[in-house]
Amino acid sequence: MQKNLRKLENESIYIFRQAYRSIPKIALLWSLGKDSNVMVWLAFKAFLGKIPFPLVHVDTGKKFKEMYEFRDKYVKEWEVNFIKGSCPPLEDIDPSLPPAARSAARKTEGLKEIIKKEKFKGIIAGIRRDEQGTRAKERVFSPRDDSGVWNIKNQPPEFWDQSNFNYPESVHVRIHPLLGWTELDIWEYIRYEKIPVVDLYFSKKGKRYRSLGDRDITLPVKSSAKTIDQIILELQNSNTSERSGRAMDHEEENVFERLRSKGYM
Amino acid sequence: MKLNIDSEVPKVVVVGHVDHGKSSFIGRFLYDIGEIPDEKFAELKKASKTRSIDFEFAFLLDALQDERDQGITIDTTRIFFKTKKRKYVFIDAPGHKEFIKNMITGASSADIAILIVDVHEGIKQQTKKHAYLLKLLGVEKVIILFNKMDKIDYAEKKFLRVKFELEKFLSSINIKFNSSIPISSKFGDNLVKRSTKMPWFKGQVFVEVLDKYNISDNEISHFIRFPIQDIYKIGDKRVIVGRIENGKISNGTELIFLPSNEKVKVNSLEAWPKAKKIYGPGDCIGITLNDQIFVDRGNLASDTESPPKLMNRFESNVFWISDKKISFDKKYFMKINTGEYEVNINKIKNVINTESLDRKKNTNVLKNDICELVIHSSQFIPMDDYSFNKSTARFCLLDSEEIVAGGIINLKNYPDQREKKYISKNNITPESYSITEIDRSIKFNHRPGIIWLTGLSGAGKSTIAKNVEKRLFKRNFNVFNLDGDNLRIGLNKNLDFTPEDRTENIRRTAEVARLFTQAGFLVLVSLISPYRSERKKARDIRPELFREIYVKASVDICAKRDVKGLYAKALRGEIESFTGISSPYEEPEKPNIIVDTTIEKVEESVIKLEKYIIKEFSF
Repeated sequence: MQKNLRKLENESIYIFRQAYRSIPKIALLWSLGKDSNVMVWLAFKAFLGKIPFPLVHVDTGKKFKEMYEFRDKYVKEWEVNFIKGSCPPLEDIDPSLPPAARSAARKTEGLKEIIKKEKFKGIIAGIRRDEQGTRAKERVFSPRDDSGVWNIKNQPPEFWDQSNFNYPESVHVRIHPLLGWTELDIWEYIRYEKIPVVDLYFSKKGKRYRSLGDRDITLPVKSSAKTIDQIILELQNSNTSERSGRAMDHEEENVFERLRSKGYM
Repeated sequence: MKLNIDSEVPKVVVVGHVDHGKSSFIGRFLYDIGEIPDEKFAELKKASKTRSIDFEFAFLLDALQDERDQGITIDTTRIFFKTKKRKYVFIDAPGHKEFIKNMITGASSADIAILIVDVHEGIKQQTKKHAYLLKLLGVEKVIILFNKMDKIDYAEKKFLRVKFELEKFLSSINIKFNSSIPISSKFGDNLVKRSTKMPWFKGQVFVEVLDKYNISDNEISHFIRFPIQDIYKIGDKRVIVGRIENGKISNGTELIFLPSNEKVKVNSLEAWPKAKKIYGPGDCIGITLNDQIFVDRGNLASDTESPPKLMNRFESNVFWISDKKISFDKKYFMKINTGEYEVNINKIKNVINTESLDRKKNTNVLKNDICELVIHSSQFIPMDDYSFNKSTARFCLLDSEEIVAGGIINLKNYPDQREKKYISKNNITPESYSITEIDRSIKFNHRPGIIWLTGLSGAGKSTIAKNVEKRLFKRNFNVFNLDGDNLRIGLNKNLDFTPEDRTENIRRTAEVARLFTQAGFLVLVSLISPYRSERKKARDIRPELFREIYVKASVDICAKRDVKGLYAKALRGEIESFTGISSPYEEPEKPNIIVDTTIEKVEESVIKLEKYIIKEFSF
């Protein structure tokens, strides 16, 4: 394995083990995308073959057919403890948000509900710093108050792999084991470890999905990459950002920060 | 040059005073090496236009609305990029003093630091504070960039003046810098392309210097440090997991676990789907042991040759990042490696002014101060000295709600509490004496005892002991004076004044005193014996016969008396580890009696002690 991948793998395993030891009830947010599959894989490594907490899929009901098939297949094959959460209808969401962001915000509400229902104290999410400016500002262990709000202006310090886990009952912690990975690292790791991914990432008729979200707010990008090797080659020479096919990112300058400060991943 | 994909990815933190151009530097540099995606560039243009300002590179990193609106970096962020040689991560750190905790969060994981200073404005408060913090955080590779050369018309003279001043400061805090480069972020001078406006500058431009750094550790050290993160029950195996901080582990490696101090061998390596044969620094591993010893989270395993020290009191250099005041009564939680311990702060030794580098004895510490603390724990904590191994010598302190401080450990002044020897006691059966202590007591008409006089050098221990000895002898007491200095000539002549040797000195003296009591003697021991922990061990040998006498006099008074001329030498720095000057003295908490030689005359102290002994040990 490449040196930098081994380093990232070790960092993530350390975070998984720290989270499991320090936070009473945790779950892994499995969005069915490539990043969350890598997370599941790393969790198998951290806990030596059996993941001691549930995988949660907060289902908007608007994912691609291929994603649902993928989910059902691997729930069985991986023998994981699986929990499905649902999302409220669009009418219940803040109408002041631009349309795509408003649609994405359903997931935030669905997540809040499942956290409340299952009394989770920690949620493992596969966000990465290279995806988006506000995600780049994240901590590995990031507290959210009872309404899920992220206090961006006063984040707790984190250094030398030490974090605070002593929070009031109402707070849950977002755990980010992939924060230091890039899109390219993810694909290189998938290639090396042979981790399964949904077919939609590979080019069909000159287009492929670079990032997977809801059907109606995610667009494929132009690409001829039909294999993982070709995807890696494409990324090494690309000058566009990964989330360019995600409509919600491009509506207004501050929209992602608004979503995230209210509890989006 | 070919991109090396198997290279490590160095993390480069950018620090410096607020507004000296950290975020703008990163933005400009990334633009110049073609690492800003087109759509991102368009987005920045739009964000600048919305705020009716010139194009602002800093918006690349300052992604928060508040940051953009106020033109200031609030929290640390990261951005990935590659040069022709390899990939990197930039860590942008806020320069405003309000956000020091965010700067620390960013800088603590960096491999290389870039210290930016505005040549026009010169060296400011946070320039020095950040430099000092880099030292505490262990970031040792530093590149200095002198920004805004355009504002001083690219004048070499001004540049040299600021450079001289900053380099002098960095040298005085032992930071090794490799390069000082005059740049202009605004126009891109000397970042990627050599500036035509500064022909006098002959050094390498920034990107060349950056690509030159070798970040992998140059020396291979063989000692093992393996902190235990957790224990998993898998089938009927108990798998111990953790990250190797130093050294290599394979099947059969012999380890010592601290604090239990037990030796055991590695039975197997465990991983999913399959374990390798050997693991090294940075690897998160699982092991099983060939002997069922008790291992807990937070334990520290090591090799058997150079294990860490086991401490219940130590000194540390600390950055305090909370608004809350230090409390000496409060319990703090100390997190070190994977361990968590309850500790007290005993003492604030000094507060360091990071501008003038003066050390001041203060009784309180303010937010963002750097200070030296003495920390105490009722449990033994395994740790190393910072100069020996960084990763096992740094910690953070929490109160019940937040991280209040971080620090690095200095073990120079307090003794290791670990039992060093593994002597099998199986073959030794103590022989009973044919004449008992009672027989001897009845013959001598008094009970045996250990009168332990502790106090600073020059407090008057020996003088008082000698006089008391004489007087008791006249009263037919079977008495003997064991003097610390005399013992150091013979029995203890192989011992030095390091904390460990002081501990051994006390142990041997206490054992000799024990023999004297078995012979029916009243023995007076005059020994500085600076540590509470070691005096307690001496007491524990024969608690019913042990009396602690505190011969009290302040350092100032003792230094003034200076009968042996030692204080003068110590104050000149000619004696290392001199108690009261460069090495600590812990006053007894509950001595049996105190003789205060600053207010009592010698005769008064002598009579007081004599009376006490007669009362305690006569029939």
